[in-house]
Amino acid sequence: MQQFTVHKIGPEIKIGGIDLSFTNASLFMVISASIIILFLFLGSKEKKIIPNKTQLIAEMFYTFVAKMISDTAGSKAKPYFPFIFSLFMFVLFCNMVGMLPYSFTVTSHIIVTLILALFIFVAVTIIGFVKHGFKYLSIFVPSGVPAVLLPLITVIEIISYLSRPVSLSVRLFANMMAGHTMLKVFGGFVVSLGILGGWLPLSFSVALTGLEILVAFLQAYVFAILTCIYLNDALNLHH
Amino acid sequence: MRRSFGLLIASIAINTNLFAAEAGMPQLDPTYWASQAFWLILIFSILYISISRFYLPKIKDNLDNRENKIKEDLENANKFKEQSEDKLKEYEIILENAKKEVNKILFESKNILDKNIQSKKQSMEKEIEKEIAIAQQEITELKKKSISSIQNISENIASNIIENISGDKLNESSIKSAVEDISKKNIGKYL
Repeated sequence: MQQFTVHKIGPEIKIGGIDLSFTNASLFMVISASIIILFLFLGSKEKKIIPNKTQLIAEMFYTFVAKMISDTAGSKAKPYFPFIFSLFMFVLFCNMVGMLPYSFTVTSHIIVTLILALFIFVAVTIIGFVKHGFKYLSIFVPSGVPAVLLPLITVIEIISYLSRPVSLSVRLFANMMAGHTMLKVFGGFVVSLGILGGWLPLSFSVALTGLEILVAFLQAYVFAILTCIYLNDALNLHH
Repeated sequence: MRRSFGLLIASIAINTNLFAAEAGMPQLDPTYWASQAFWLILIFSILYISISRFYLPKIKDNLDNRENKIKEDLENANKFKEQSEDKLKEYEIILENAKKEVNKILFESKNILDKNIQSKKQSMEKEIEKEIAIAQQEITELKKKSISSIQNISENIASNIIENISGDKLNESSIKSAVEDISKKNIGKYL
């Protein structure tokens, strides 16, 4: 579990009695964000009709996210495209940077994912109320449900709505933590079984690394697409 | 395989013991929660602003440019295609006209030739008829001449034969009238 510990880097920064020191988590956030910005800078630097590789990849990310948003939330979600794009890129690059040995996985901390999820939850709720007023509450009352079941269903809907930030944040955090813990466990086996028995866990470790890269991408995708779906609920009220 | 599996389970037990020795999940230690939240919000905001302000519009511009360029190129290609089709039609029309003209020229020249041949033929026929008529005249004259000469010859021959047979000289006029008589009777056969 040592790979998940947060420790201070540099001087202690305290504002109003709250410790806001720069930590290794902050450092890897900065690294991920810098990689994203560098990548996008290189990808949009030359305006070529026939793109080079970096430009092509940047444009692929753009069209990928744009398509994801228009497929799930429709054209009304266009103003939120930059946010979802940044969110997707940030989570993806934090996950991917976390896959490097000796690095720190920012998204394996519940507080980080919870803040992202809470922000999305609050923002989506505000958007819903701004767009539809009190009619937004009809999201809790699905149509076509027998009157007997309606109170029960409404309660379930409210609980499921309120648990959205928890499920969204825990999904990402737990996936990242579990994957890295598994890798660590199998790495430990390689060491403890030595040169005779270590080959099996080593091969597992290699396979798991591949799986973890897939999971890193998939979880970023899931995080972004769930955001789109929540946004869709808020924008297009048809239940 | 079985042995290594056993080893695996054993080492899982060892490792979990090792993990248990470490202090809980660092994620649930609230010491740096505020710091992480603060830095996350700060860095994500910077990232969001720079992406939405600078990079996304650039990439969008690029994509739009390419799309426009492709559309333009396609339109141009279509235009050129239409032009080439028009040219082809023009060419076909020209070809058709040329063919028509060729036919016309052929027809006209054939007509002229026919006329020429006809007139030549007619003149030739006239000449031939003339020649034939002249020849016929000559022939009839010759015939007339020959009839009179045949009469003379036959008179002479007849008188000679009679003289030789009978030894007498017959009256020339009687012989002449007899020959004339016979020749008149038989001349229709030869003329």
